[in-house]
Amino acid sequence: MKKILSVMLIVLMACSFLFAGGQAETKKAEPVKELTAVQKIIKEAEGMTMEELAKKAIAESNGATFYGVGNSSRGKSALPLFIDYLKSIDPSYNLKFEWQQPKNNSIFEMLDADSKKAQGTFSMTLIQDGNQIESKMVQTGLLDRFIPLEWAKANGTTADKVEGYLPLQTLNKVFMYNCTGKKTYTNVWDFVMPGEHGLFMGIHSEPVGVNFLYMLTADKYADALKEACDALPKDKKAIVEKEVKALSKEAKEFGLGKNGAYGLAWIKLWVTSYNEQTDDGPICNTLVSSSATDQFGLLVYSKLRSVQESDSVSKNNIKVAAYEDGYKGFGGYGYCHYLFLTDNSPLPWTSCAFIAYMTCTQNGFNAWGKDIGGYSSNPEVAKANEDRHHHSVSGMAEDGVTVKFKALNDKGLDWWLNEGGLVVEDPEYCASVAFTVGTWIEGLRK
Amino acid sequence: MKQQTTSISKGALLLNHVKTFLSKPQNVILLLLGIILTVSTVAPIIAIVHDTIKIHPGTIDAYITKKSSGYSLVNYTDLFTSRLAKQNLWIPLLNTIILAIGSCVVSILFGGIFAFLVTRTNLAWKKYLSSIFIFPYIMPQWTLAVVWQHVFSSNVITGTSDGLLASMGILMPRWWCMGLFPSIVVLGLHYAPFAYILVGGIFKNMDANLEEAATILDTPKHKIMFRVTLPMVRPAILSTILLVFGGAMGSYPVPHYLNLVTLSTKYVSLNVKYKGEASILAIIMMLFGVAIMFVNQLSLKSRKNYTTVTGKSGQISKINLGKRGKYIIALIFVILTFFTSIFPIVSFGFETFLPNPGDYSFLYTGNASNLTTKWWTASDPTAENGLYGQLGILHNKTIWHAFVGTIYTAFMCSIIAGTLGTMIGYAVSKNRRSKGANYVNSVAFLPYLMPSVAVGAAFFILFSGEKINLFNTYTLLIIVGTVKYIPFASRSALNSMLQLSGEIEESAIIQDIPWVKRMTKIIIPIQKSSIISGYLMPFMTCLRELSLFMLLCVQGFILATTLDYFDEMGLYAFSSGINLILIITILICNTIVNKVTGASLDSGIGG
Repeated sequence: MKKILSVMLIVLMACSFLFAGGQAETKKAEPVKELTAVQKIIKEAEGMTMEELAKKAIAESNGATFYGVGNSSRGKSALPLFIDYLKSIDPSYNLKFEWQQPKNNSIFEMLDADSKKAQGTFSMTLIQDGNQIESKMVQTGLLDRFIPLEWAKANGTTADKVEGYLPLQTLNKVFMYNCTGKKTYTNVWDFVMPGEHGLFMGIHSEPVGVNFLYMLTADKYADALKEACDALPKDKKAIVEKEVKALSKEAKEFGLGKNGAYGLAWIKLWVTSYNEQTDDGPICNTLVSSSATDQFGLLVYSKLRSVQESDSVSKNNIKVAAYEDGYKGFGGYGYCHYLFLTDNSPLPWTSCAFIAYMTCTQNGFNAWGKDIGGYSSNPEVAKANEDRHHHSVSGMAEDGVTVKFKALNDKGLDWWLNEGGLVVEDPEYCASVAFTVGTWIEGLRK
Repeated sequence: MKQQTTSISKGALLLNHVKTFLSKPQNVILLLLGIILTVSTVAPIIAIVHDTIKIHPGTIDAYITKKSSGYSLVNYTDLFTSRLAKQNLWIPLLNTIILAIGSCVVSILFGGIFAFLVTRTNLAWKKYLSSIFIFPYIMPQWTLAVVWQHVFSSNVITGTSDGLLASMGILMPRWWCMGLFPSIVVLGLHYAPFAYILVGGIFKNMDANLEEAATILDTPKHKIMFRVTLPMVRPAILSTILLVFGGAMGSYPVPHYLNLVTLSTKYVSLNVKYKGEASILAIIMMLFGVAIMFVNQLSLKSRKNYTTVTGKSGQISKINLGKRGKYIIALIFVILTFFTSIFPIVSFGFETFLPNPGDYSFLYTGNASNLTTKWWTASDPTAENGLYGQLGILHNKTIWHAFVGTIYTAFMCSIIAGTLGTMIGYAVSKNRRSKGANYVNSVAFLPYLMPSVAVGAAFFILFSGEKINLFNTYTLLIIVGTVKYIPFASRSALNSMLQLSGEIEESAIIQDIPWVKRMTKIIIPIQKSSIISGYLMPFMTCLRELSLFMLLCVQGFILATTLDYFDEMGLYAFSSGINLILIITILICNTIVNKVTGASLDSGIGG
């Protein structure tokens, strides 16, 4: 018996040894991902201060040309300020630059095409649409994330602990309606009731807008929709419940949470009713006109900044739905502008310094910060920006008491996240449902 | 030994053949251009076919195959059989075909009737009408689409800002404001000058003997028209169809602005998640181009005798529209052409003085404070002056950089396409019965018949690879523009070269005058008007080309993409200003060329 036991123990130990050895082997077999040249620089840069990075940038790019590409044109406004900052350290510093802003989603094609060169043209990018960034740029290793030291400190963390990408800012698209008539919108479901046709950039015009729809199927926002539905009057509730019931099978099929069908119902009613526009600009132009009585849209909040008062156009012709008392449900959608270096960046140190400058200084953020509706991801910069531009009271008259344009008084990101129920883009979630919920959305017909 | 002698003599014979062949400049041209054009036409097609089977990360093929690289036929199966097939393929395909056919019908009817009136009747104000009629072709093709929106859109029907008619209380139905109908009308009007120039050319030179003979035989007038006159212009109608069908099929901006889903607009929208499937759509569009070319070849083979110029009768009988009739009909066309040609320019000019895009407060109130010059003059980059972060047109570097880029691209395309096209025309005319010449002639024409978006897509894929990466460079725009516009020059040169008697060049050859001198001192000067047209057409078309270039560069690179960008953003003052700059540039260029060389688009037709 002892012999048998001994043999069994020996076999067991041998197996354990082999198993452990096997595991060790497996670990060894996993290819150790070697850092690329740019990633090595990023690793080093993440431990440097703004000033140290600036010195590296000066050494690297004095007299060179810097190419950046972004979904926002304002990189072009931020770069001269960055160059001035570097000049304040070394007056002999000089940098030429070119900033490109492709439309029609072609930023991904540009970056993909550029990534095939041994050394790219573009050094860095400011890019939106978490879904495509995740699936086309990050998973494929085309873009590299850099977390500036000061940014991490301001957010109470370190570069290693940061999950996700580095956002420059969160932008919000909010529900606004023309208030020259008597109609009001007090519940997010009001926007999809029969006869309503919200102005919206089409699901094919701006993919980041589709991410908003994807996010509505996530538990947090589907629950919020259910809650808003419960607050509806009986007749409207019946309309919603009918849709929810009809879509419960799809919700199950897509593996959504218990209230997932509410998300699908809102999406279906919205997609089959919205009035497609080419951009948020035309939507804003329409809504502020006195002829747009009772119309509404979902558009970037900052578009209001450029409206000029005239006999038939006014910022007072519009109301931000979520700012009105008793409003139920989410008031809009928040998405980020993310910053990345290209993995074949020709000027990686300069890119790191520029990214740090935009995310860690108010001057660097000012190109975006001067408008309402864009919120720095760095709490210190966000505060400095509010101190400089006073967006929370930008709709007040000079006396500081009279409300001149109510819609312009930006309540800030915290309010939007907590009180305004802003739906916030989650790149990973969007990528995970892009071909389930996404394909279903594309199949919806008007 | 005998065998060796034979083989040596065969080799020498071959060498001799080659030497003789290459001693003729036209053969060298055909050989070289045959190779170049084959590569420039076939390589992009191969690239786009390759793209349809390649797996693209983050798109449907990667999702279905669970791979991030490699090859699969899944794009084909998904596009043709998935539940989205109707939406992604069949509906856009049907819309595209209807749009292309409808545009052909409108352009032929409108352009053809106008050509008939100008050439075969005593219509009043011909010279003015003839010049103004070609304006819609000179202007960017979406110009009329934007004007259509500005006039017919309404808050009640389309849910957008009120257009001009809506502000006067007139509401047009939805089918009139957006979709298939306005797209057909706009593209038909844009391409009507093609029909006018081609059909008008035949009407003008038509031998009156045929109609006179019918009249003598007491044939009713309507019968003469349908049995004698119209059959004579069949080749011109076929040529118009050839040119308009491909153009309408590959148009992106018109259906885009007027909310019609076509293969072109679907190509752009599918590119995000269905890249490989979008490439299949481009191939389908290309197949239509190839099919049109074959139809053209067939028609050339089966074509009956359509001789219109006999030399026996120089007199054209003109129909008398009556004392009042000739003015009434002319007035109708003056009004029509006002809306298609003058009104857009006035409307664009006015738009640049509005305080907000589409804000016509001034019209209702007459209050001058509802007008502004800020869109032209704003120069402070730090001030918030309601320009969405932009500077006024006069100070806007992006716009002027794009302007210079546009002129440069158009000039280079015109020079290269014009020269190569002239060479092709010359070489083909010298070898008109050889298969090689026919091949070069056809392969040079093929890119023109292919929809612009598809050609752009194919070149984008070809030139955005690891080894050759020309994305967002003027080099790429020039290559693509040249390939696409060679037919303008080659057709124009071929037609003029065919008119030249071979004896002219032969006498110069006898006197041992070198080929370059023969070309520059004899052939080109004789046919300079047609040859200059071959340079002028690529230049003017290139100035306002969007569908071809939109995938190849970003905005700010050329004016068309910059204009499209501002239009999409709703900054109509900027897009209108750029449109004005474009139109004025084209008109100035056209006038200069017309004054210097006597060549112009409508030369000769309007009298």
